[in-house]
Amino acid sequence: MDDEKKQITVGAKEGLGAGIVGIALLLGFLPMASQNIADLEFISSEAYGILAGAVMVLAIFTGIAGLAVIFSNLSDDEE
Amino acid sequence: MATASVGSVRKRSSRIPLTYVVALVPVAVALNIVGGQINGILKLPTFLDMIGTAVVAIVLGPWWGALVGASTNIIASFIGGPIGLPFAACNVVGALVWGYAIRMGFGKTFWSFGLVNVVTAFFVSLTAVPIYVFIFGGATGHFSDIMTAAFIGMGQNLFVSVFSSNILVSLADKIISGFVALAIIEALPANLTSHLTLPKSEGMGKVMWITGGVVVGLAIALVMMMVQG
Repeated sequence: MDDEKKQITVGAKEGLGAGIVGIALLLGFLPMASQNIADLEFISSEAYGILAGAVMVLAIFTGIAGLAVIFSNLSDDEE
Repeated sequence: MATASVGSVRKRSSRIPLTYVVALVPVAVALNIVGGQINGILKLPTFLDMIGTAVVAIVLGPWWGALVGASTNIIASFIGGPIGLPFAACNVVGALVWGYAIRMGFGKTFWSFGLVNVVTAFFVSLTAVPIYVFIFGGATGHFSDIMTAAFIGMGQNLFVSVFSSNILVSLADKIISGFVALAIIEALPANLTSHLTLPKSEGMGKVMWITGGVVVGLAIALVMMMVQG
């Protein structure tokens, strides 16, 4: 019984936080990646355009994450 | 069923021990990268880089799956070049659709689970098409580029051509990934999956259904290869 109480567990709240960390990682790597992509021979797009488009997509994900914070039941589900 | 007994009352919790999460997330990322590499080497008409995402999104939750998806494409971009990084958005969308669909109660039967995979394929393609068109001009060197060129040759515009080829590839890929993920989930400890409503079947029924699902995905991929061949 004591062992069960001591065990560290994660739920929906921690999952949501992890997802937002994933989006943050993508945002951190995008400036470098967009320049590398623009440098490829067969790419006609500019680095700025690639970065702008990718940031807009990630803005949508961040918005969804925000809505999840507002509407999700982040309490522990126990039956 | 994994339960924690408190007196005579049996509790079922959706909370998962951190040790399982710490173990499962890196393994899922590795599974995605290995699947993607195998697919790239064999030049298959699939992607196979979302099996780990599906496992984590279904078992741990959609946002853990999003973390796996984002991490997969970031790490894969160091191995195979930066082309894959913009497609991290597709991996994240797949994780969200799989994770939320299962938690909303879809996927109770094998048919509805198959439908969840089809819906995932649709949303992933919707996300992928603007990336293909606006960043890469419609081609990235994947198998589906041949089909895109064929559709353009038939008089379709670039958006329709890219979507048509991508949805076919994505359909095969997500059906295979979803059912392989279901097989992996079956092998996980019961206290990780007890809070999920996944398809149930007695005896060899589940093996038959999972095999059937993978075969359907492979059949779609084979038909595409034969049509292009």
